[in-house]
This record gives sequence, C-alpha cells and structure tokens, in this order.
Amino acid sequence: MTAATAHQAPAAPAAPQLATTGARLAWLYLVSRRIPAAAGLLGALGALLWIALAGHWNITGGPAARLVIPLVIETGAAGIIAVAGHGPFGETERATGRWLPWLRLGSTLALTGAAFAVLAAGATGGALPGGVPALLRDLAGITGTGLLAAAAIGGSFGWAGPMGYLLITEGALATGWGTPWIWPGRPAGDLGGALCAGAMFAAGLAAVTVAGVRSTRSRTALE
Amino acid sequence: MTTATAPARPARAARRLPAPPSFLRLCWIELRRSPMPLILPLIALLFWFDSYRPSTTQAPLYPLVTFWNLGQGHTIIDFGPFVAGMSAWIGSRDGRRNTVDLVSATPRPRWAAQLAAWASAAAWAVAGYLACIGVTFALYAHRGVAGSPPWWWVAVGACAVLAFSAAGFTAGTLLPNRFAAPIAAFGGFLVMMMSSQAGFADRSGWALILPSNSNGNFQADSGILYPWLPDLPIARTMFFAGITVAAISVAGLPAAAGGRRLRMTAAALTAAGLATTGTAVGLASTARLSAHGMVIPALHDAASDRLTSYTPVCTGTGFRVCVNPAYRRYLADTAAALAPAVASVAGLPGAPVRAVQGPAVYDSADGGGGQPVTISGSPPVLSVPLGAWSFLPGINGFSTGPDSVGAFRQSVWLLFGQAFVGAGHGPGTPAQQAVQAALLQRLGVPFADQPGLLGSIELTSGHPEPLPGPVAAAAGRLAALPAATRHAWLATHLAALRAGDVPLSQLP
Repeated sequence: MTAATAHQAPAAPAAPQLATTGARLAWLYLVSRRIPAAAGLLGALGALLWIALAGHWNITGGPAARLVIPLVIETGAAGIIAVAGHGPFGETERATGRWLPWLRLGSTLALTGAAFAVLAAGATGGALPGGVPALLRDLAGITGTGLLAAAAIGGSFGWAGPMGYLLITEGALATGWGTPWIWPGRPAGDLGGALCAGAMFAAGLAAVTVAGVRSTRSRTALE
Repeated sequence: MTTATAPARPARAARRLPAPPSFLRLCWIELRRSPMPLILPLIALLFWFDSYRPSTTQAPLYPLVTFWNLGQGHTIIDFGPFVAGMSAWIGSRDGRRNTVDLVSATPRPRWAAQLAAWASAAAWAVAGYLACIGVTFALYAHRGVAGSPPWWWVAVGACAVLAFSAAGFTAGTLLPNRFAAPIAAFGGFLVMMMSSQAGFADRSGWALILPSNSNGNFQADSGILYPWLPDLPIARTMFFAGITVAAISVAGLPAAAGGRRLRMTAAALTAAGLATTGTAVGLASTARLSAHGMVIPALHDAASDRLTSYTPVCTGTGFRVCVNPAYRRYLADTAAALAPAVASVAGLPGAPVRAVQGPAVYDSADGGGGQPVTISGSPPVLSVPLGAWSFLPGINGFSTGPDSVGAFRQSVWLLFGQAFVGAGHGPGTPAQQAVQAALLQRLGVPFADQPGLLGSIELTSGHPEPLPGPVAAAAGRLAALPAATRHAWLATHLAALRAGDVPLSQLP
C-alpha cells in the first residue's frame, strides 16, 4: 500500500446497490412496524366484510342501522393501520437519518391502500351501503382519526381513535345528526362528508409523517 | 459496675421478616401500575355522549331515561370494547416484553400473577363503570326522574364489563403482540353489534340473553307501578359471570401457567364457566312475557308481581282523575282530555264516575302501542294505562319529536270510545265502530281523520283504511241525531251493543 492508495476514498456505490439498500431499508422498516402481520389482519377483515355482506348481517332498523356492521369492520382496519405505526426504537431511530418521515408516509399510505383494496374486494360479497366510493371516504376518514390518536397518545393506543369515532358515529346516526363530520351518515357523493373525511386523513397522515407516532421510552406499565 | 449490675443485654428483637409477597400485595402493586385508568376519561366522555346525552331528551321516568343506555345495552357498548382492548394490552405485557421466561421462574405460578394483573384491571374498569352510572343516576335524581332505578340492569352491565375485561386479557396472553388490543376492541364491538343484530329481531328464546336486546323486557311502569322483574337480569348476570370465569381460566391452561394441579383447576373452572353460561342461555330460552316483564319460571319470585303501593295525586271536582305521582306532569292534560268524553256519555249506563291510572301491560311491541282503557266496577271506574301510551304530550320515550296536546286528546277520546262501546283492543263490530265514530265526530274528530288516528296509536296494522261505507253512513246518521234522541237510543241499546248483539241495521 502506498500513500497514494492509503487514503483513497471508497468507491461510491453503484446505482443498483443504492436501490438494493433502499429497498432493504424500506423492508426492514416495514418489518419493524409488523406491516406483514397487519396486512394479514386486513385480509381477514376483508374476508369478514365479504361474509357479512353475503350473509346479510344487518341490524334491524333504518338505512343508518345497515351501515353499522360494515362500519365496524372499516373501523377495525383503521385500528390496525394506526397501531402498525408504533415503533419500538424511539429516539434512537429518529437520529438515524432523514428518510424516516418518508418511510412513515409510504408505509401508512401503502397500508391504507391495502386496506382499501381488501375491503373493496370484500364489498363484492353483497350490497355495501354507499358502494366503494363511500368505503374509500369512510375508511380514509376513520384512519385519519387513528393516525391522529397514534400521534397524540401513542401508536399502541392508536386504535382508541377509530373506536371512539365509531361510537360517536353510532350514537349520531341513531339520533339523526347531519353534520358532515359524521361522514358515514352522508350520501356517497356528498362533498361535505368527503371533504371532512379527507381533511381528517390528511391531518392524521401529516401528523404521523412529520412528528411520528408518540412513543414512550421509559419502562413503565404502558410499555 | 460489676457483672451483676451491668445492664442486661437487651433481648434480641424478634427478627421481622418481610411479609411474604401475597396475592393481595401483588394485586395492590398491579392496581397502582395498571394502565386501565388512562382509558377511563375517554370512556367517560363517550359514555356521556352515547349513554347519558340521549336519555336527557326523554320524559323524566326511569323506564324511559334508562331504556337506551341500560335496556339496549349502550353502557356496555361504551365500556366493553375499550375495556377489552386495554385488558388485552395488559395481558400481552409479558409476551411483548419477552419476559415470560423470567416471570415463570418466580415463586408464584404464572397464572396467579396474571390473575392479579387482570383483577386490578377489572377493578378499575368496574369502578369506572359504577362511577359513570352513579353520576348518571345522581343527575337523574337532580332532574327529578321518577320511579326506582333498575339496579339489576346495572349489575348486568358491571358483569358485562368484567366479562369483556377477562376475554380481552386472555386474548392478550394468547396473542402477545401490538395487535392484541385493537383486535380485542374490534372483537368487542363486533360482538355487541351482532348482539344488536340478533337481539333487535328476536323477542323470545335464547336471544333474550343478549345484552342489547330490549325487546319486550324493558318497558314503561317498571319501577313505578310495579317492581323491575329480576328474572332476566339474573340470567344475564349468570351469563356474563360464566364467560368471565371461563375466559380467565383459559389463561391458566397453557403449560407455562403453572403446575399440573393448577392447570387442572383452570380446566375445571373453564368447564364450570361454560356450564354457567349455557345454563343462563337455557334459562333465558324458557322466559315468557308476563304483564310486568319477562318471567323465567325457575328464577321467578311471586313477590315481584305485586303492584307498588302509592298515594295518588288527583284533580277534578265532579269527575276525579287520579294518577301515580310519577305521572303528575300528565294529570292536567289527562283530566282535560277525559272531561268532554265523559260528559258526552254522562247519565248513560256504564258511564265512568272517576278515572284512575292502570298499570301498563308489557307487550312484544316494546310498549309502543296504545293499550286500551277499560271501564269496570260498580260504580264504573275508568282505568287509564298512561305508561303504555306513546302519544303522551311532550317528549316521550317512543317518539322522535314532541307530541301535541291536541293529538293526545284525540287519542284519549278514541280509546275512551272503544272502551265505552265495548270494542276492547280490536276494531269491534260494525255497530260498535259506527257508534264510536259518531261519538268521536261529536267530540270534534271528523270521520275522515279517524282512520289516521287509529293508525297513529297502532290499534290497526298496516295502512289505516277509511270506515266501510255502511259503517260510515250509520255513524253519520247517528251523529246527526239530536243529542237527546241519540242519548235515548244509546241508553236502550248499550248493553246489547257492548255484547256485540246489535247489527248495523238496527242503528237509527
């Protein structure tokens, strides 16, 4: 080894290597968030929706009552998406680089898209009230509540947001509330409901992308 | 100082050993560290929105204000899924932290430690539930809600919360990962919605065990004119207690839970819990609808059938109208509605001399119909089942908006007319229909409005139909007669009319 070669900088990685590294990083991130398991659970929820619609599981009552069981299943999917954002590494992970927000954004969008796909497939089992457009709106909005809850109180408890919203919606539907913030009660093509649901999803997505889900590093009973 | 005077060496104090780590101490530690209280503020907020807020729009009678939250199980929907989710999180703790091997090596069996964790979580959840119910009932008392609270249904709710916590906890121990909590909460919601799906459609049989099924088992006048029947709530309490025992015992079945003896005990408890649950379902299947609620013969106490004694409140000088103090707010309107009807038949045989409130009878239509008034005794007394009427003036439990005093009066006149001509709950004979229509017309209800009135109080099924032509014609003739002539004809023919022996052709 000569002086000329001793301090030679390592050769820059080739473009294919970078791509491989990026894919590996993304895959490791997805595994750390249990995304494969979440995808499996979402598939099970899609199958459940298919069974519910094919089996005509309806609560006796008006049109609002017919929304409830599909809404429960969509809420379950939103809860899974919210909890999947929980990371076990906390601050250590935050210090690793600038790609984390993009990984959060990408994984959340991918999981939401997967949830929509499997639920839309499940909706072929029968007549889903409002059809696929209403499914997209409701799922996006309820997922937004879960993402906001995950950002505010922690990824492990992100499911409380969609479940709480479901309960409020159920009570509101029973008493005939018409506010667009209860978007599942609005017609499929309603602009107000779509805007509110979209705003909720955008807010939740922005919160988990920029700030990440809240995590507790101390070994308390919560962790 | 000699050895004799030297102070004796103080006796060695008995060595105080630290108290052995008892189960109760473990429970206390778990109670202090349990994350369950963190979810209780959210549940309380949802409880206020979903269970308390709707009840404030009902008339201040316990059966009405608690119909939605306790009768249809909304308090359980508010608590159960969240408690299940949080319990699953607590139950999955060791698995998530990879400390199963570590804690399995402690002196206490793993199952005992899990029981302590579950018991503390369940204690927080049940305490939260009872606190919410307590505040709700205190607010009801402040508002002056009349009647006695349905305590047995509160017990059902508390047991349901226990069952959700046990099921969630065990799910957490068996599925120790981050998805245990949302799956348990989702499962809780799905179970409650399926309970509503089956419960809202079935009015008898095993479906009565479902916690959101109020069909025919939660109606007006319970806790006011007669006690709440405890039969069905006892069966539901058994049902949830059985689920609780079975679910928490399942956590004691795996090899890591403890020794063979302990696992055998857990298996026996699981079987006992399932047997209790099955027994409760069987008991509910034997329930039959009685006048005051669901009766399960094996659990029924005849003392529960007695009417509640009370001092009535009355109004009127000539024609006295007396009601239960809980219905005081309807007394003036009832007396005002009855006055013209009674005056129109004054002096005729069987005309009532006073009115009292009769107890509403349970029916399979959730009390939404217009149960008939009756005239009986000597001198004749009118019995008015106010609690069964869905058309009481103002807001009441079975209407979506306030009912007007005018509509209330017309409905009272209709029921009075039916009782007076002896038609009972049905349409009556054509002659009875004609006389009733004439009386109503004279009181101010046009013939054209009468079918709609019949439909509005659910005495007819389907769409109300106009009076048949001959009946309408006879009613028109009778109504057109001078009052004295009509009175005289009625005085002569009333007994036969009530017996159904007067053909339509005999009407003047």
